Amino acid sequence: MPKALVAFVRIVDRFNYRVGRFAMYLFYVMAAILLASTASRVFFGVPINWALEMSQFILSAYYLLGGAYAFQLDQHVRMDLFYNRLDARRRAITDAFTILFVIFFLVVLLAGGISSTKYAIQYKQVNYSAWSPVLWPIKSVMTFGVFLMLLQCISALIKDVAIWRGRPIQ
Amino acid sequence: MSSEFITLFMFGTMMVLLFTGQRVFGVIGFVGSAAALWLWGQGSFEMPFNASFQVLNWYPLITVPFFVFMGYMLSESGVASGLYRMFHVWFGSVRGGLALGTIGLMVLIAALNGLSVAGMAIGATIALPQLLRHGYDKVMVTGVIQAGSSLGILIPPSVVLVLYAMIARQPVLDLWLAGIGPGLLMALVFAIYIYVRCLLQPEVGPALPEEERAQITSAEKFRLLREGLLPLAIFVVMMGLFMTGITSLVESSAVGALLATLAAWWAGNLNRQVLEDCTRNTLTISCMFLWIILAALCFSSVYDGLGAVKAVKTLLIDTWHFEPWTILILMLLSFLVMGAFLDDTAMLVIVAPLYIPLVISLGFNPIWFGILYTITCQIAYITPPFGYNLFLMRAMAPPEITLMDIYRSIIPFFALMVLSLILIMIFPQIALWLPELYKAGR
Repeated sequence: MPKALVAFVRIVDRFNYRVGRFAMYLFYVMAAILLASTASRVFFGVPINWALEMSQFILSAYYLLGGAYAFQLDQHVRMDLFYNRLDARRRAITDAFTILFVIFFLVVLLAGGISSTKYAIQYKQVNYSAWSPVLWPIKSVMTFGVFLMLLQCISALIKDVAIWRGRPIQ
Repeated sequence: MSSEFITLFMFGTMMVLLFTGQRVFGVIGFVGSAAALWLWGQGSFEMPFNASFQVLNWYPLITVPFFVFMGYMLSESGVASGLYRMFHVWFGSVRGGLALGTIGLMVLIAALNGLSVAGMAIGATIALPQLLRHGYDKVMVTGVIQAGSSLGILIPPSVVLVLYAMIARQPVLDLWLAGIGPGLLMALVFAIYIYVRCLLQPEVGPALPEEERAQITSAEKFRLLREGLLPLAIFVVMMGLFMTGITSLVESSAVGALLATLAAWWAGNLNRQVLEDCTRNTLTISCMFLWIILAALCFSSVYDGLGAVKAVKTLLIDTWHFEPWTILILMLLSFLVMGAFLDDTAMLVIVAPLYIPLVISLGFNPIWFGILYTITCQIAYITPPFGYNLFLMRAMAPPEITLMDIYRSIIPFFALMVLSLILIMIFPQIALWLPELYKAGR
């Protein structure tokens, strides 16, 4: 494979790994917020009105930023009735075609995300709630997560084509 | 073009693409977004991203990582092996006792996690090797573990029921309480089957040999029983806080995860490796689950926009003049067929918005229907070609268990699950008496 593509695969895989590992620990942030707000309300009678909403935001960041890492670990489930019977090369060839569908979906998702984030910035959109936080930060993070997933799919496509040509990237 | 045709076309394309083995979330998302662009043009390109905002607004989904984490914590930290040991010493002397004990174990594990993955992990790695070593029939025990772990989505806390509750706009607690009776009924049905089968064919499930039984002292028996109460206490505390309204659903799930971590620490098994495995597995399972929901929401919003709900209703009631019960049975059959090919989460998000309004307008109880749906999901979990428990079994089972064994093992349990489903259809009270009791008590 051309050097540039190999370099792309390496950079994307390494970057998404790091982001995924970061997202992994957001679980504890979410747990801390929920437990602290529970304790504050139950023991001290002081409800924290932003806790639930903050957790919703973190959950979205958690699965969208972690998606590419889960992809690397091949944890996104497949219907593998026939797929499992193929050898490694045939699987790569099949995937090289069908991943284009996934890429299409992610491109539409990304385009929607960018336009929605732009709107949120331009009109200083806030969430309808007591806390009413501005929405552009979470929208940007979500859109970025979609973008990373798209890069991961392109990286997977390059790797599959390399296997197809009989020269897998290490 | 009629909306029925478009809906059918979308389902058809989805099925074909799923068979290529591409990731489920990608296939569903592609069909949804492509259909939206094709039907409504460029103006609809924001629709898929809006689905991700719907995921954000469905705040009960926050419970997903916590209930998954809880299950992993108990399986990775050795709390589950203590539990297994408890059932082992208490049931071992009976014929088929280890298999009966495994069903008991699965019920307890189901009460401590929201999906069936942890139950499968515990069953395949802890119970299965022991059962095989004691000369149990491999086909039977493979079935026991797959069927037993599927109870994870019926017995609270259940993530599938949380998702159903959101779509049907029903209280989560009602659904959870309604799941308990049927869950225990199914466990009982499985247990009766195992017991009778071992009576008739003693070779499939021998009792523990005399010398091994002699080694177990009654002091150890009671020590293990005490240890076994700890996980039960976690369940009671978590459900208690939730049922009395002290903590909300989401808060209870965080408390449950905390308690499971404390239990692992108490057992002296909380180390770096356990934490790493639990945290990573929680992330990957939650990502898989939530990306599928995101894609499925994108898919379902297309035929929502087409008004397919009304079209289906008109077709079934006004055009074909079906009786309510016929429609109900047809729906469940369609779940069974689709569930064999499609992930159950996706199926719920895609089909439930179509079916639930219909169920309510036919005069059926939506809580009861949720339980029927969940049981059909359980059946789908173990039926080839697409079943979570089948996948996991294949990945985790020891090498002497072949794919053929796994497929053969589910046949009796498939029949038992269908039997339970029919019982609950005829006697809705099995599901509904607990939520009604709770309501009457408030």
